[in-house]
Amino acid sequence: MHKVWLIAKREYLERVRTKAFLFSTILIPVLMGGGIIFEVVTSTQSNSTSHIAVVSQDQRLATDLQAELESSKDTQVFVDVISPPASGTRQELNDELADKSLDGYLWVTPPSQANALPTFAYTPRSTHDKALKATVDSALQTVLLHQRLTHEGMGASDVASLMQPLQVDTTQAGKAADSTSSYVATAILFLLMYFVIMLYGMNVARSIIEEKTSRVFEVLLATIRPEEMMAGKMLGVGSVGLTQVGIWLATALLLTATPVVSSMMGGAAHVSLSGTELVFFVVYFILGFLLYASVAAALGAMTNSEQELQQLNMFLVMPLAACFFAAGLVFSNPNSTFSVVMSLIPFCSPLLMYLRISLQMPPVWQIGLSIALMLATIYAIIWVASRIYRVGILMYGKKPTLPEVLRWLRYS
Amino acid sequence: MPIVELQKVRKVYDTKVAVNDISFNIEPGTMFGLLGPNGSGKTSTIRMMIGMTVPDAGSIRLFGQPFTRKNLHRVGFLPEERGLYKKMKVIDQLIFLGQLHGLDAATASKRAHGWCERLGITASIGKKTEELSKGMQQKIQFISTLLHEPELIIMDEPFSGLDPVNATILQDTLVDLRNEGRTVLFSTHRMDQIEKLCDAISLIHNGNLVLSGGMREIKARYPNNRVKIAFEGDASFLSHPSVEEAKNYQGHAEIKLRDGDNGQGLLAAAVGNARISRFEVIEPTLEEIFIEKVGGNVDA
Repeated sequence: MHKVWLIAKREYLERVRTKAFLFSTILIPVLMGGGIIFEVVTSTQSNSTSHIAVVSQDQRLATDLQAELESSKDTQVFVDVISPPASGTRQELNDELADKSLDGYLWVTPPSQANALPTFAYTPRSTHDKALKATVDSALQTVLLHQRLTHEGMGASDVASLMQPLQVDTTQAGKAADSTSSYVATAILFLLMYFVIMLYGMNVARSIIEEKTSRVFEVLLATIRPEEMMAGKMLGVGSVGLTQVGIWLATALLLTATPVVSSMMGGAAHVSLSGTELVFFVVYFILGFLLYASVAAALGAMTNSEQELQQLNMFLVMPLAACFFAAGLVFSNPNSTFSVVMSLIPFCSPLLMYLRISLQMPPVWQIGLSIALMLATIYAIIWVASRIYRVGILMYGKKPTLPEVLRWLRYS
Repeated sequence: MPIVELQKVRKVYDTKVAVNDISFNIEPGTMFGLLGPNGSGKTSTIRMMIGMTVPDAGSIRLFGQPFTRKNLHRVGFLPEERGLYKKMKVIDQLIFLGQLHGLDAATASKRAHGWCERLGITASIGKKTEELSKGMQQKIQFISTLLHEPELIIMDEPFSGLDPVNATILQDTLVDLRNEGRTVLFSTHRMDQIEKLCDAISLIHNGNLVLSGGMREIKARYPNNRVKIAFEGDASFLSHPSVEEAKNYQGHAEIKLRDGDNGQGLLAAAVGNARISRFEVIEPTLEEIFIEKVGGNVDA
């Protein structure tokens, strides 16, 4: 175990000390933060300074619209009321649009007959400002509906209560679950694993190929077992990836925790995890990563160059992608036999067992079994990979065929 | 008790018999040479000794015990294919390899500094390995096998690719280690190296053991029946009855004596006729013995 640790430490330090690691670790959060700051700055600029005019013969309608627009939560709008319009009003407004002191105006033309609706024309400064147009549209709908209802003889308080938005709460027996949040968390876990496995799993494979070309392995074989070497490499190179992702996630959490950003996100992208769920998220992520990293190590053991590796790298993420498709079925029925069996298959456990945990806590033995199976699979893959590796390295040169690989497994 | 014992060791790769029933012993405190042309099975034999591969038949005992990984801490191994981590500093590399052999970092560092001083590469100790010349890297590799002060040192082609000056430094170091009481085994395809250094040898050809034993004893088995003479004047002594065969190259001659002749009669005859500046009875070289043994079909 001590030797596994030494190998892992060496791999880890060698990689973490490179400039490439430093740059990518810093650069991604900087870009991420920069993007958010840019977003915040531009959105506050366009939102807070929205300034429109409402032109109408009907002063009542105009002031109602003003009140509705100015009470809008999403954007801040200042509304000028011009009622009734003078003959030069349109020209004045167009001039104001041109010198950018106005973002748009709404011109209400009274109906030609009684009982008909007035016609509305909105002239924006920029046709790209869709958000403001949408705000004006919805305010207009609300005000007109309000007016019609009042017109039909309803009292003001009845209208207000009728137009109260409906609130639907989702609850589940045993816990206050938000299944959308579970699904989003699983999707995030999937994306995170996919990304990390592609990026860092391949690094594990590459580092093993590199060891073959540098021939250091032969020196090390005199002191350590091939499986110690494999495990050490996997842990060392894998930890580099986990460190980097950890730094990025921490940065992302810090950024989203700031009031500006969370208010900007409007709570829509918010995923709330309980303490237990967070623990399982981390456990399944790390085990899943190690499992796939051991597959990468085996691929590295079987190949002699990066080109050969490229042809095989789809095998690395294919099982994971397949699991993600199965996730839909598990989501709709987390306790079916299908879901239980799928979530116990080591290659699917990280995603599917986690999904089940976040939907409805499965029996403890199933969670325990899935973790035990994953650990056993990791061990088995490393064992097989190290056999292939040891023989492969001692008989270097040609690419092994499958029967040869199987025969190698029998050599000790 | 021998420190290394090979009993009828055999290793077969897919179609080729790499090592064919080889047996030999290495006594403690000796320098042992494993000799043979390229591809004769030296590396295969060495790999089995340190447990990298397992013999198909026969047994190997180190330190009087069947192979166990625990004993590897008493062995220092230098593989034929050298490998070091290119991006690592020399000293970090040596400490890492020392730690793998069970040393703590401080001891490994202290010994690494000592060895670098001894081999005259102190200036490179803080450099990255990739910045060093090949010969330099080889010295570092050499040091890395000795840091844990092994009782048995096994080196596969330790001098290949070195210039004569550095080869001599490493040879002298190996002799020093032997004189300290350690056992040294090294392989080479260069017979001239082994003659000066080794107490005992084994000679392998195509996986078969051709010759094995102490250096003196092997040499004694082959007669000293050749003479080199450098002379001026009358060359008629070349037809002396002691001479079986003679080659005369303008001023010096190579002579093969008849069996049982010690050459003294020839010397007396030569002195009477010509001015002799050199008269030498030559021991057979290992190369000659080897060629005699395998019939000259050596592709080394």
